[in-house]
Amino acid sequence: MNKIWIIVQREYITRVKRRAFIITTLLAPLGFFLLLTSSFFINSYSQTRTDVAIVDETGLFKDVTVPDAEDQTVYFHKIDEPYANVEKMLPKDKNADAKFQAVIYVPANFSLDNATKSSIVYRSVQRPGNSKQQFINRRFTTAIQQLRMKKMNVSAEDLEKARQPVELSFESIGNSKENKGYADAAAIAGLVMGFAIYISLLFYGTMIMKGVMEEKSNRIVEVLTSSVKPFQLLMGKILGIGAVGLTQFILWILLTGAVNVIAVPMFGAYMVNNTHGLSAAQSSIDPDAIENIRQNMASLPIMEMAFLCPLYFLGGFLLYGALFAAIGSAMGEDSDQQSLTFPVMVPIIISIIIAGNVLNNPDSNLGFWGSIIPFTSPVVMCSLIPFRPVWWQVALSLSLLVAGFILTTWLAARIYRVAILMYGKKVTLKEMGRLIFAKQ
Amino acid sequence: MYFRPMALLSLEHIVKQYGNYRASDDVSFEIPQGKIFGLLGPNGAGKTTLIRMITRILYPDSGSILFNGEILSDKHTEIIGYMPEERGLYKKMKVGEHLIYLGRLKGLSLAKAKKHVQLWLEKFDIISWQNKSIEELSKGMSQKIQFIATVLHDPQLLILDEPFSGLDPINSKLIEEEIHNMSAQGKTIIFSTHRMEQVEEICDDIVLVNKGKKILEGSVKELKQRFKENKFKVAFNDEIRADLLNNLNVVEKKEGELVVKFAQEHRGNELLKLFVEQGVEVTSFNEELPSINEIFIRQVSNN
Repeated sequence: MNKIWIIVQREYITRVKRRAFIITTLLAPLGFFLLLTSSFFINSYSQTRTDVAIVDETGLFKDVTVPDAEDQTVYFHKIDEPYANVEKMLPKDKNADAKFQAVIYVPANFSLDNATKSSIVYRSVQRPGNSKQQFINRRFTTAIQQLRMKKMNVSAEDLEKARQPVELSFESIGNSKENKGYADAAAIAGLVMGFAIYISLLFYGTMIMKGVMEEKSNRIVEVLTSSVKPFQLLMGKILGIGAVGLTQFILWILLTGAVNVIAVPMFGAYMVNNTHGLSAAQSSIDPDAIENIRQNMASLPIMEMAFLCPLYFLGGFLLYGALFAAIGSAMGEDSDQQSLTFPVMVPIIISIIIAGNVLNNPDSNLGFWGSIIPFTSPVVMCSLIPFRPVWWQVALSLSLLVAGFILTTWLAARIYRVAILMYGKKVTLKEMGRLIFAKQ
Repeated sequence: MYFRPMALLSLEHIVKQYGNYRASDDVSFEIPQGKIFGLLGPNGAGKTTLIRMITRILYPDSGSILFNGEILSDKHTEIIGYMPEERGLYKKMKVGEHLIYLGRLKGLSLAKAKKHVQLWLEKFDIISWQNKSIEELSKGMSQKIQFIATVLHDPQLLILDEPFSGLDPINSKLIEEEIHNMSAQGKTIIFSTHRMEQVEEICDDIVLVNKGKKILEGSVKELKQRFKENKFKVAFNDEIRADLLNNLNVVEKKEGELVVKFAQEHRGNELLKLFVEQGVEVTSFNEELPSINEIFIRQVSNN
């Protein structure tokens, strides 16, 4: 036990002291910060202002307002001049300065009853982007709808009343905290957590594998195994690298938190406005939905997530770490045997696929079995926790995970202790299978 | 009979099988306390397998190993030092911390490990290497570090597998001196090699294995006696009469020197007498004992 501890310390300290560790630990939150700020700058620079003159030969638009864009990208100006004059005011090429960049022409024969017979025309030197086109189209549709209602003697207030949105409230029985939009918030949280576990299983699993390969190929393993049992070496490596992973995780959470504290007040207000502006322009995201998700984040089961996810990370890490170590011991310097990693990678990849599916159908059979089977449960269950699975499902899943990592560690130890000392001979999957059942 | 001190290590009917291949086939021998013991054999004879069983890296399929009369167990690994033939260190670690780590894995406390590392680095006059990383060292330098790592925890039994391979003459000499030092302190040393001239210089006792089987054991002196062929080397000043030579089995002939193989029932004195009676002025007369190398080749090819 004492010797495992000495090995854990070495594995931990040598890795944490490495420049690469410090750099990735610091850079990841910085990268997050850059992503945040660059999206701010990209947004503010990518939006140019367009002044649009409206020439209305019908006089219909006198009675209706066409509001400018909230994100200050499009301004409408009603002009009392003949179309031919206005067109002359437009710039000759797209770089030239002018009062208006475009003109909207409503011809005299435009009719509210038959809007398709003679349509409204938008003319400019430079064709507007897709989102601008949609925005302008929507503004005019709304204006024309208002004009038609007026013609039908429906007041603006009545119109507003009729258009009141209706939304069904989806609630879980016995959970008063959940509001409208909870499922969206849970899905986002589940995706983030499942993905974090998925990435770290692959990343730290590979780190274990490389560590074992290094020891085998530089032959220090022969000296080590004359001092400690292969099982101690295996456990020391898995636990030491696991601790490195946990350290990096905690630092990332703290640093990302710090970045948020600094960045959000700087850009937060802008971002909120901007999201509204963009969503108005793009119409694909409903700003209310975003606001809902924001509010629902607070009612997620934060305590359960904070407690169970590290537990699942640890369980999954021990389970897969042992397998990666066994693969590393078989590979050694023989890096052309990368195909050996395939059987270990596949269940991890399958689990993120299941998790993606489960976010839309949290109570599906696939989700249930995915969260129970130890090879997929770390990723799948972490995605499911925001949906509040029943307690016995979590208990069953955790006990099976413990049983799972005891089994894989036992299997891995049997392969590892022999394969680590096998030189000059290719250790195939078949050979590994034989080692598991061989008398030792 | 030559005197055999108490055995530090006894191997009794050791069998180790890999698939269809017997790496150790009913091997028994004893390693006496305080001696330098040579484990000899051609490549692939099963030397490393035997060593790995002594160091508890592998376990025998049957048979037993006794250490000081006790069944060998994991607690004994802390009083055994092993320098394998294929040896390596963590490239990124510093010399000092690497040695301390290996010492602690052998059961030394942190404080003791630090102290021992200091002592050995001073002894080899390489204290300045302490903060160098392993990857900066030359091959010869890292061999020295390997040796220190092997003896750091003051083991009672030292196992050196081809310790001189890849060493320059100066470092070889240094390690050889250290082996004799440790032996003088009463340590037992197992020295595994296929280079026979070193065996004669260094070892007291040897065991010869081939194809997993023990084929010979004994002290170097006793083996030379056992396999001697009654050969004598005579050096002289004068010419020798041809008829004297005709009656002798001359193996080698040089100017003023002869190697004669004498019939087994005769003693050296009789040969000397023959020369003296003929009036030859003999300047030296020696019995030619076989080298361990000759015995080795003869035994391996007979086997």
